[in-house]
Amino acid sequence: MPDRNVNINEDVVAEPDVVIKTEGLQKNFGELRVLNEIDLEIRKSEVVCIIGPSGSGKSTLLRCIAFLEEYSEGRVFIEGKLLGYKVVHGTLVRESQSNINKVRRNVGMVFQQFNLWPHMTVLRNVTDALRVVKKMDRREAERIGLETLRKVGMEDKARYYPAQISGGQQQRAAIARALAMKPNVMLVDEPTSALDPELVGEVLQVIQDLASEGMTMAIVSHEMGFAANVADRVLFLDEGRIVEHGDPAQIFKNPQSQRLIQFLDTWKSREL
Amino acid sequence: MDFDMIARYAPLLLQGLWATIYITALASVIAIGLGLAVSLLNATPFRAMRWLCRIYIEAMRGTPILIILFIIYYGGPSIGFTFDAEPTGIIGLGIYGGGYFAEIFRAGFQSIPEGHIEAAQMLGIPKSRIITRIKIPQMLTLIIPPVTNQVILLLKESAVLSIITVAELTKNTTGMVAETFAVVEPYVIVALLYWAVVESISFLGRYLERKISYA
Repeated sequence: MPDRNVNINEDVVAEPDVVIKTEGLQKNFGELRVLNEIDLEIRKSEVVCIIGPSGSGKSTLLRCIAFLEEYSEGRVFIEGKLLGYKVVHGTLVRESQSNINKVRRNVGMVFQQFNLWPHMTVLRNVTDALRVVKKMDRREAERIGLETLRKVGMEDKARYYPAQISGGQQQRAAIARALAMKPNVMLVDEPTSALDPELVGEVLQVIQDLASEGMTMAIVSHEMGFAANVADRVLFLDEGRIVEHGDPAQIFKNPQSQRLIQFLDTWKSREL
Repeated sequence: MDFDMIARYAPLLLQGLWATIYITALASVIAIGLGLAVSLLNATPFRAMRWLCRIYIEAMRGTPILIILFIIYYGGPSIGFTFDAEPTGIIGLGIYGGGYFAEIFRAGFQSIPEGHIEAAQMLGIPKSRIITRIKIPQMLTLIIPPVTNQVILLLKESAVLSIITVAELTKNTTGMVAETFAVVEPYVIVALLYWAVVESISFLGRYLERKISYA
C-alpha cells in the first residue's frame, strides 16, 4: 500500500493523450527495492521498449502497471485513472476488485509463457472473455474471435488446443486473446524469450504490425534489433531505476551512461 | 471348490456386490462434493474458515473409518440423529473420503500455473468465473489419477461397513461363511469380485484421462 497520508484530493488526472503514467513508482519485495522512483509517461500510439539486464525490474514494472503486483509507493494512472486505489478523504484506499477489473479491461497483456488455457481451443481462449466480460452471444464472440485470429495469421488453428500448436503460434493466439478485447494499450512482457529462435520472427512481426497500426504498447524485450526498429522510445532500466531513456537511435548509437554502454557491449558480443 | 454351493449363494453375493457398488458410488459423490467445497473454502481469505477446513481434513485423515461409523451410528442418536446402518455407512464413508478429496483438490489447484489466472485477471474476468471456467476444469484434468485411486480406496474401505451390519459384499460373504462353514470358496469369490470392480474403476479412470487430455 502506497503512503496513505499523502495529501492528494484526486484520483484522476486530466491528460487525454497520456495512456500510462507512473509517478515515483516504487516496489519492494521485503527488504529488496526492485523499482525505485519510476516516472514514466506513455502517450497514445507510442511504443516504448524497456530494456535492461535480468533482475533490473523490467517485468516487475509491467506487472505493477497491470496491478498484478501491488506497488509500494507512488502512483500508477491508466488513462488518467488511478489504478488499484481510490482517494477517500485524502488517503488512498484499495479499490474494489470489480473496479480494478474495469480499468484492466482496457489493458491487454502478453506474457512470456503465453498462458493460454490448455483446456480450451484457441478460439475459446480468444472468445471466453468476450462472452463472460462483454456478455456477447456465442456467434458474435466467435465472429470477433476469428477476425482477430485472422489478424495474427492463426485463423486456421482456431479449433486446435494449445498443446497441438507451436510456441510461436501459441504466443500469436495469446496476442489475439488480448486484442479481441479491444484494449487501448498492450503490455508485452518478453514475448519471445520462451521461444525457439526460428519462431521468434513470426511473433515480432505481429507486434510490429500492431505498432504500425497505432497500438499503444509497452514492451519488455531482449531483442535489441527489434526494439531499435519498433520503438518510439527506449527505456534502459538497471537496478530498478531508469538509467537512460530516449529515442532508439540515441540509446543504441550514442549511449551516455557507463552502465548502458556496458550492457550494449555484452549484447553485441553475444550476437557475434 | 464347491460350485454348487457358490451357485446357491450367488444371488446373495450379487446383491452384496450391488450394495457395495452403489454405496461406494454415493459415498464418492458426497466425498467429492464435500472435498471440492472444503478445498475452495480453504482458499478463502477468512482465517477462521481455513482453520475449520484444516480441522475437518486432519480429523478425517487421522481417524479410522470404523471409529467415524461408530460415532455416527451409536453416538448419533444421543444428539438426535438416528440413521439406519446403510445411510450411516454412506454418510460416514462420504465425510471420511471428503477429507482426502479436499487434499487432492488442493494439490490440483496449486498445480495450475499462476500465469493462467493472471491472464484471466488481465482480461477482466471476475474471480468467481475464473474459478468455474479456468481453475476447476484444469484442476479436474490434473487430478483424475489420484481421484481414481481414492475411489478405489473408498470401495475397499466400504468392507468395514459390514461391522455396523450393512448388507454389502463383505457382510453377505461372512453370512455365507457362517452358514456353510466353507472358507475358501466365499473368500476367493469375494476377492475376485472386489478385484473386478477395482479394475473397472481404474479402466474408467484411464478412459477419462485419455478423453480429457488436450493434446
